[in-house]
Amino acid sequence: MLATITDDFPDNPENMKYFYDKYKSLTSEESIYPKDKKVIASMCIHVPVEIIHALGAFPVRICSGAYSTDMAGSDLLPSKICPMVKSTLGAIHLQMLPGKAEPEIIINPTTCDQKKKISEFGEEVGAEFYTLEVPPTKDTEEARQYWHRSVKSMTKKLEKVTGNKLSRRKLRKAIKKVALAQAHFRRFMELRKGFPVIWGKDAILVVNSYFFDDIDIWTEKLAALNNELIERIKNRKEIIGRQAPRILLTGSPSIFPNMRIPILVEQLGGIIVYEEFCSTSRMLYDTVAVDEWFLYDMVPSVADRYLKPSTCPNFTPNDDRIRKILRAIEEYDVDGVVYQTFSGCQLYDLESRRVSNAIEDAGVPVLNIEIDYNPEDSGQLTTRIEAFLESIKDNKRKNFKK
Amino acid sequence: MKKKINKIRQYINGLRISRFRFWIQLISFFIFVYGGYFFIEIGSRLPIFSCPYVPGSPGGCYLLGVQHELNSTWSSIFSPRGISILKSLGIFLAFFLVLNKAWCGFVCPLGTVQDWITKLRMAMGFSFTRYDQMSFKRLKVIKYILLFLLILIPLAINNSFFGAPKLPHGMHTPFCQICPARIILPLFNGDTSQIYIDFTDTTTIIMTSLGLMVAALFFVGSFVKKRFFCFFCPMSALHYIFSRFSFLRLEKDGSKCTRCGNCYRACDVGIIEIADDITSKNIVKDDCIMCFKCVEACPEDGALDIKFFNIPLYTASHEGFFKRYGVGDENTKPINLDELINSKEEKNDKNNRSQR
Repeated sequence: MLATITDDFPDNPENMKYFYDKYKSLTSEESIYPKDKKVIASMCIHVPVEIIHALGAFPVRICSGAYSTDMAGSDLLPSKICPMVKSTLGAIHLQMLPGKAEPEIIINPTTCDQKKKISEFGEEVGAEFYTLEVPPTKDTEEARQYWHRSVKSMTKKLEKVTGNKLSRRKLRKAIKKVALAQAHFRRFMELRKGFPVIWGKDAILVVNSYFFDDIDIWTEKLAALNNELIERIKNRKEIIGRQAPRILLTGSPSIFPNMRIPILVEQLGGIIVYEEFCSTSRMLYDTVAVDEWFLYDMVPSVADRYLKPSTCPNFTPNDDRIRKILRAIEEYDVDGVVYQTFSGCQLYDLESRRVSNAIEDAGVPVLNIEIDYNPEDSGQLTTRIEAFLESIKDNKRKNFKK
Repeated sequence: MKKKINKIRQYINGLRISRFRFWIQLISFFIFVYGGYFFIEIGSRLPIFSCPYVPGSPGGCYLLGVQHELNSTWSSIFSPRGISILKSLGIFLAFFLVLNKAWCGFVCPLGTVQDWITKLRMAMGFSFTRYDQMSFKRLKVIKYILLFLLILIPLAINNSFFGAPKLPHGMHTPFCQICPARIILPLFNGDTSQIYIDFTDTTTIIMTSLGLMVAALFFVGSFVKKRFFCFFCPMSALHYIFSRFSFLRLEKDGSKCTRCGNCYRACDVGIIEIADDITSKNIVKDDCIMCFKCVEACPEDGALDIKFFNIPLYTASHEGFFKRYGVGDENTKPINLDELINSKEEKNDKNNRSQR
């Protein structure tokens, strides 16, 4: 998969090399994490990484995109459930977490049903799970208070696990560190609004590597990549012509190496300009806002950032996700939306109708695809995506003539 | 020219308005509590608690004026003498409409005292409390009830409503008798004479005792809740009636809002609509004190905007947000894509034209 990503496309930015190498290290035999820090694994975007950083630990998000561990997970879980959850549990069982991570504890938020239940497999897979209670809604006061208490309990548990106490200074530093990463990320996303200077598959890789990379190094490398992309814009170095359909990708998250859809779209002539995934934009867009820089306000502030702005379909209602996608369609000049759902992922499936209708009402065509991690059924997918892209190109040509 | 203006605006949007506000509050406090000693005279129809019981006050609070003017018979009010009531209202509006509820957030000395008490609380490391949504909805009507009473009671002293007995003269300025500003602000002039119970008759005993209780409650309340008194202030209720006509505006562009809730977190009073309302343009609610902490906390370009008439003064911007965080530098400055593209456009233009 990595070879396809690097070799099949022309004009990969120089600074992508760091990220490609990082992905090569994922399958290493030795742990790629610093020896002096405890690794705290998590899933989803609802685990406040600022707190993990402040306690001197290394946060690693272990949501997995690997088919091999998906098959391993199928031994433990029913076959019809989300392949990402199966893949993650399989990876934990086989001790094949990204970069050979050996986490002290795995924080498992009670977001979707499938994810919620794998905590019960802790003994069988030989890992310690901590259940982080996430409310099923995000708008009500009850949900917010519940969430604040949940995060406080998690903080206490992590203090025990890491043996460190949360201090005001450390948390402030951590919040600023994450804010810096988010500032660079926003800049990166701004650069994709104009004519294409970076492939979507590269963009997904860059943001996806936030899962397991050292945040300071990641930020630094992203800053360098941004500067290179700015040079490309100044020199008008487009990687694909203006006629190429600009695609927005949303739905169940594309996580390396499950990158079939983005790669297919781009191999067949499209370009992905924005992805509304929890593995990319949703993870890094919003920033914590603190009113009084004391622990009594900082911890609730961090908690709030992981609840209210989240457009995860685990929450109901989730109209904010539709608004976000419509706004992205306008700002990124999107021609078509590809809505992917993993087979067994009920939440994204349930939202697909409302979201697709809203997008089509805005005049943008939507392609709904259901996939799993099996790399075999590319044939039918290729045809469908190709047809979709062709119809967009046709429309563009017609409109251009007008 | 436009570029220069944009640069200036970008610079301003990166500043901390809360620092600016701190200094304006300090200067205003000086003017409205000590100004009288320096022969400053601003009239007696001010839209803030510039209390005339304060020896150094340069003017008077409009609510006192309202209570005095309405302390007349109907025949007097509806006579040519009553035109002075309208004139009074006119002067009040002339002051109010310029700054809208920013009078509360930037100028009112009682508001400033509450903010200083909040700073004291922070220095001592204590946490603050917030109302839950249910209590918020129930308690916010108190300011309207107080406004209604301070209009009704003076009228009821001189006139009989539906044959009911007239109210006693001891309630002549009912709100001033219970207002915490009357007791607390003169303390800054070293004047403790307002801390007393008036034993003239039963009514005055009750009213002045209430006043002392309210003042005590003010200190406790302001310590645990930010801007505790402002939630119950009848001046705030009066402001809100005319707020939409004001020249200074706080506007929201719902299409830019991600409902992240940062503004609600920053709000001293706890107004959830700033975050959740994505349709209204004028986002000033009756409890808003226009301190603009919400604009400072908003990371979305153009979502919240302070405008004077239609001129934007201070807008939420993502560059400003990250700068205030201390993570703004050359590498995180937002990019003006058009500028970048156009920087080479002049050279390529001829080529493009021939290609088409």
